[in-house]
Amino acid sequence: MPDKNLVPVRQKAFWAHVWLLLIAGVMTAPLVWMVLTSLKGPEQIAAAPYSWWPRPWHWENYAKAMQAIPFLRYLTNSVVLCLGSVLGTLFSCSVVAYGFARLRWPGRDLLFGMMIATMLLPWQVTMVPRFLVIRELGLYDSLGALIFPKFFGEAFYIFLLRQFFLTLPQEMIDAARVDGCSELGVLWRVVLPLARPALATVALLEFIAAWNDYGGPLLYLNDPQRFPLAYGLEQFVSSHSSEMHLLLAAAVLFTLPVVVLFFFAQRLFVRGITTTGLKD
Amino acid sequence: MQRNELKTGLTLISPWLIGFLALTLFPFLASLYWSFCEYDMLGSPRWVGLRNYRRLAAELADGGTFARALANTAYYAVVSVSLSVVMGITLAVSLSQKVRGRAIYRSLCFLPSVVPLVAASVLWMWLLDPQQGLVNGVLQTVHLPAQNWFQSTSSALWPSSWPADHMGRVFGSKDGLVLMSLWGIGNLLIIYLAALGDIPKGLYEAAELDGAGRVRQFLHITLPMLTPVIFFNVVMGLIQSVQAFTQIYLVSDGRGDPAGSTLTLSMHLFLTAFKDLDMGYASAMAWVMFVLVMLVTIWLFRTSRHWVHH
Repeated sequence: MPDKNLVPVRQKAFWAHVWLLLIAGVMTAPLVWMVLTSLKGPEQIAAAPYSWWPRPWHWENYAKAMQAIPFLRYLTNSVVLCLGSVLGTLFSCSVVAYGFARLRWPGRDLLFGMMIATMLLPWQVTMVPRFLVIRELGLYDSLGALIFPKFFGEAFYIFLLRQFFLTLPQEMIDAARVDGCSELGVLWRVVLPLARPALATVALLEFIAAWNDYGGPLLYLNDPQRFPLAYGLEQFVSSHSSEMHLLLAAAVLFTLPVVVLFFFAQRLFVRGITTTGLKD
Repeated sequence: MQRNELKTGLTLISPWLIGFLALTLFPFLASLYWSFCEYDMLGSPRWVGLRNYRRLAAELADGGTFARALANTAYYAVVSVSLSVVMGITLAVSLSQKVRGRAIYRSLCFLPSVVPLVAASVLWMWLLDPQQGLVNGVLQTVHLPAQNWFQSTSSALWPSSWPADHMGRVFGSKDGLVLMSLWGIGNLLIIYLAALGDIPKGLYEAAELDGAGRVRQFLHITLPMLTPVIFFNVVMGLIQSVQAFTQIYLVSDGRGDPAGSTLTLSMHLFLTAFKDLDMGYASAMAWVMFVLVMLVTIWLFRTSRHWVHH
């Protein structure tokens, strides 16, 4: 005789899968639609009734989209922007986080509190004077305007790294100090090698933030030669607003690197979010 | 000895300290000062006392642009944050069931939140296209009225904004933005999932022994245990939705279109500063926005004593 409980449990699992498939389907449908539509021809997009599947497949949409904007130029700018931002962020945030985490000095907690408070300050409050400071430094209309500030640390990442540094064993740091290491030496030789996972999380989040940033280029860049992809894509929107298939092809190309990164580094994403709360 | 430590400490944090002074503290004080000035960025600031603030108060009183921007922001913030709580909890509870392939379902639900805002905006402008968009297509297959989304000034949850002959076409530009924000709920979802995982299993076992059904378990265990995260969600969601800019700028043609229905505070502020070059007025607006967000946050913290479970 079969176990009486077996059937309801199986049935329960079945309905759970139906429900989860529905949820996951709704969440991913826009992305599937984006990819499929980017491969359709304009006549199919306008035709009724609506059909999901491209007929025929217009792979050339991607080549066309890349020719419609100076794609390589934008891509180069994006890569420079991302690498510069990641470098600046890793350097500044790890040094600062170490100063806040592993060293006792008067006023430390007060300054740390102030740093946390700046996270709650809306960017609109400092937007205008900050713009003028960057302009006075002669950085207006260059990628430097976007990269330079990254060398001064960002509260969110400093907080994330500090939390991680606090978990490292004090004995190792003391041992290095006894061996005559300077504080920077301790950081470089002991702390950073141990903090690789946290550094990877910061690098990943900052890479994506720089890749996605739209407000920065909007504010600081004027010469199309310097546009990164995020901003160049928008220029494409305004000039080709009727060609949905090309537009979506460009959007797919722009999204792809981030999605690939996500699938390779899911754990880092999750850590970044759960250790410190939200990151938008 | 202490001085030495202070020196080392300050040296280590000096990158942040310099950035803080030059890129945060100075701008913070400068914008406060400029909010009392007339300033077009070309000449030098000219002190005008409370004029900018009086202008804001006047616009607020007679329903001018500032009042509308405030109302738009409030609608977007309240609707998107409250729906994000409901959706965050629903998705998290669904995704924490022990079923095969759970990790895949979770990844798929998180995925939209990594899509860059620029791409997501382009995508949603087309998804919500009144004629060719997927969403209206789905609505029509189930015999619901197609909506005008980003081409309409109507707000579904604000009946007085509905057009006279709406025939059920009540969703407009702000509702489109809300939908977009809910699509990117992934980050929040991870936090809810982590919180659900932290609830001691023993609580449910005890409740089951007492004969409590799943609904009662949810109401008396899950929900109270989630209140700290709900509170976090509400506070952060509020701060973030008030600051939301990129997606609004993109779907509204950089103007708050149609007819100012997506002109939120952050849009209005940006356009005042960098299109009208009215830095003084923009600074005053930024400070009013800052103080308002602070007051609401403080109020939320005060009420939290009554409903957040610690």
